[in-house]
Amino acid sequence: MASDQHLLTYFTTMDNQGGIIVRDAPKLDLDLYISNYQGRTRFERLLLIGQCSVPLCVDALKAAIAEAKSGKDIERYRDAWECIRIAAPNEPEAIFDQAWVTATEKANKAETHRLEAELKGYKNNLVKESIRIGHRDLGEHLESIGDLNAASETYIKMRPDASTQAHIQDVGKHIISIMLQKGDWAGVSGNVNKVLINMSSEQQNADQPYHKIVSGIALLGSGKFYEAAKCFLETGDSTVAQQYNNIINLNDIATYGGILALASMDRLELQSRVLDNSSFRTYLELEPHVRKAVTMFVNGRYSSCLEILESYRADYLLDIYLQKHVSALFSMIRSKCIIQYFVPFSCVTLDTMSAAFAKPGESFEAELVSMVKSGALNARINTIDRLLVAVSVNPRAAMQKKALDAAKNYEKEALERIRRMSLASAGLEVKGSHKASALGGSGSLPGVGDIWYDNSRTQPASGESVA
Amino acid sequence: MDKLLKTDLTQGLLDNAVYDTVVKNHVQKLSDLLKKNSADIIIHGQYFLELLNPSINSLSYLAVLHTLLIPGVATTIPRETLLEKLVLFLLTFDPVQCRYAGHYLQEVFHLAGSSDLLPPSAGVEVLAIAILRLDPTGSMLTTSHIYLARLAYNTNTIEPALQVIEKSIVFFPGMANPTEPRYLCDRDLPPSAYISKETGLTGILKSTNVMEYDMLCGLMYCSRRDWAKAHVAFERIVSFPTREGGVSKVMVEAYKKWVLVGLLSQGRLADPPGYTSASATKYYGSLAKAYTTLAVLFVADDAQELKAEAEKSASVWADDGNTSLVREVLAAYQKWRVLGLERVYSKISLPEIRRQTTSAETGQPLAGDDDVEMLLQNMIISGMLSGVIEKNDDGTAFLTFLSPSARMSEQDVARELAASAGRLKQLQPLFKATRDRLGTSKEYVRYAIKEKRAEKNNEPDPTFSFDVQVDDEDLMGGVIATG
Repeated sequence: MASDQHLLTYFTTMDNQGGIIVRDAPKLDLDLYISNYQGRTRFERLLLIGQCSVPLCVDALKAAIAEAKSGKDIERYRDAWECIRIAAPNEPEAIFDQAWVTATEKANKAETHRLEAELKGYKNNLVKESIRIGHRDLGEHLESIGDLNAASETYIKMRPDASTQAHIQDVGKHIISIMLQKGDWAGVSGNVNKVLINMSSEQQNADQPYHKIVSGIALLGSGKFYEAAKCFLETGDSTVAQQYNNIINLNDIATYGGILALASMDRLELQSRVLDNSSFRTYLELEPHVRKAVTMFVNGRYSSCLEILESYRADYLLDIYLQKHVSALFSMIRSKCIIQYFVPFSCVTLDTMSAAFAKPGESFEAELVSMVKSGALNARINTIDRLLVAVSVNPRAAMQKKALDAAKNYEKEALERIRRMSLASAGLEVKGSHKASALGGSGSLPGVGDIWYDNSRTQPASGESVA
Repeated sequence: MDKLLKTDLTQGLLDNAVYDTVVKNHVQKLSDLLKKNSADIIIHGQYFLELLNPSINSLSYLAVLHTLLIPGVATTIPRETLLEKLVLFLLTFDPVQCRYAGHYLQEVFHLAGSSDLLPPSAGVEVLAIAILRLDPTGSMLTTSHIYLARLAYNTNTIEPALQVIEKSIVFFPGMANPTEPRYLCDRDLPPSAYISKETGLTGILKSTNVMEYDMLCGLMYCSRRDWAKAHVAFERIVSFPTREGGVSKVMVEAYKKWVLVGLLSQGRLADPPGYTSASATKYYGSLAKAYTTLAVLFVADDAQELKAEAEKSASVWADDGNTSLVREVLAAYQKWRVLGLERVYSKISLPEIRRQTTSAETGQPLAGDDDVEMLLQNMIISGMLSGVIEKNDDGTAFLTFLSPSARMSEQDVARELAASAGRLKQLQPLFKATRDRLGTSKEYVRYAIKEKRAEKNNEPDPTFSFDVQVDDEDLMGGVIATG
């Protein structure tokens, strides 16, 4: 009872801070889920679940604390502890481990000093490769203790000493990893392109999974769903992609690719790019429900497609990259379903449609109205006969209207232009104050013609000198 | 004297050159006569007016009238007869003859337009007809136009002035590089050639005068509730050309009215035309904030908020003299809401319309379905809404929106197109006049020569190719270092 009370206060504060709260239990198993990842992303994911999911909160936070303590990042430990302190003050993890903090802090400092001193030594010796390695080691250390800004600065310093293609890529990957952690999506895209420019096509192929994954995440982060979908679908070799589970795992690629494609592509594209895509099939096999949803959509069984997605909503809401976009993506898919459903008809009764799409407790008609209003659905509602009627386009009438408008606009514009020319030549413009013209530095009444005249005089002269 | 005055000056088949000298001679003699014998003319005024035919002896008639009326009424002729003669002259004078006595004609115009000699309804009508007799295209703004607009607006006799104010004005007195017409009597001259300060047919105008004219036009259309035309008129002031960041108060005032009238005619706040000066747009934004706020609320769904905003800024509207326009805007709100439903529904019942739209005058939905029906009927009658109200078997009334293609038949389209083509053809003389005037100006000639020379120089463009090479080299070089 008491623990419920604590959870309640905890989630109320989370809600007040604008966080997303997931009440339904997700289908995932926490231990299994987190074992698919490596590196710093593990903590981020655990903490997110701890902050958002009501059923998994305490377990996730506990795991997060354990994860933090196995690393060197004190800030992370503090963050997780702040959460569990409110959510579950009776758990043993809720007691602040000052001894560990002090010890780790000391060790971190010593390590930083050691690496810095080492680097200094390398610099004195002027051995390029050693300096590069020194910077890399220091950067990796700084990253692991959570000092992201310093880490990224250190990584950037690797650049001047990078002598081979592989080194340059190494720098890029390190920087991108920091930017992903900071959520700097534009920076990620920029760096990916930078790395790609100097690569031979062979290398590009080998590294394709990495680039596609990273740019996919960046595009998803900045809300460019169609481009992001294309990236994930083109990820390619899954054995290579497997190495990057410090960023995302194969299941995520399948989910992202499938859902983004559903939201942004039409049926034909879905068929050719998702279902008939042999390299993406290996991913889809990991997440059969995504595959099923896409198939349902392509086959026109929209309500089942929506049902499947809806049942996984809680899972998607607990994903660090997908969370923010879930509601937007879902509503995009939903309106696409409604539009697709309506395409073959010129007229559908509202009752059939609401049988297919209406969510319990929500008015389907209001949703239709807003879709028609926004122009997504080119149709009109007939509330008398309870029909949704497609707008018939009459190209002849449209053309005639266009012709009339064009003529009218031409007439209006021609008259206006003559009028303005006449006004200008009669010197009838409204002039600015004298003060303004004095500030402009020109004489009392600088004729436009004079200025133009001077300019055109200098032009041929400069042309001659170049020649 | 009789003989001189009665000289027949109809041009008939006379050559322009011959006619020109004949008229000039006559004018010379007339002015001599006026200098010497003006006393006689005043005494025998009535006799002369009876003797002369204003459409044939226009110049002589004008001379006599001018002597009798200006500087003050100086005759014993009964006032009624005199005014009758004045009106007769203005309605029938020969415009070509009178080009030679522009100053006199203009003074007589102004007399008709500004004094209280004529009752306003007659004054406006006569002056409007006279202006169009002088310049049938009505495309040149003159001082008479301004007198006409002031008189019509101030005395609220708008109907007769419409024939003048509906013409599009494209020429203004004092334009640079005037082409001296060879023969003033040439009927093919564009109005800008014979109406000028030199011929006396107009005075000099300032930019404030031009804007005043457009403002008066807009206000007149407003009082006729012709919002679309008023919008165009105000837009002319809003986008008035400016130099060196100049903005005038009239422009800001016009912008405020333009916003309100735009809401009435288009249902939303349009962007000012692209050629509006940037500095003016900046001022509009800050000085007419209350109006733009109102416009934003006008397109939103919350009638109560609109009403509250209108009441909050009541003093602003009053200060700008826009209270009645704002009231119109509030009254139009619900109508535009109903029109907005057309984008969503094809048929909708009246009770639903009543639920979905609110009146901005009361902030409440209409009281009953009958009120809704009345509102819709009014909108249909005024042509704002194209739809029909029908009744179901169970007695629910509903509105069916008609599709746009059903609104215009093939014949209508053909007619519209033909009319449009006709109007475009009428632009031709305006183009020609402007081209002639600008094509012979010193600046243009200078520019044309420059262009030609530049063309010759630029054939193998050395600057361009050189630049490209430099860029190329750069690309190859520094990427790794900077990346």
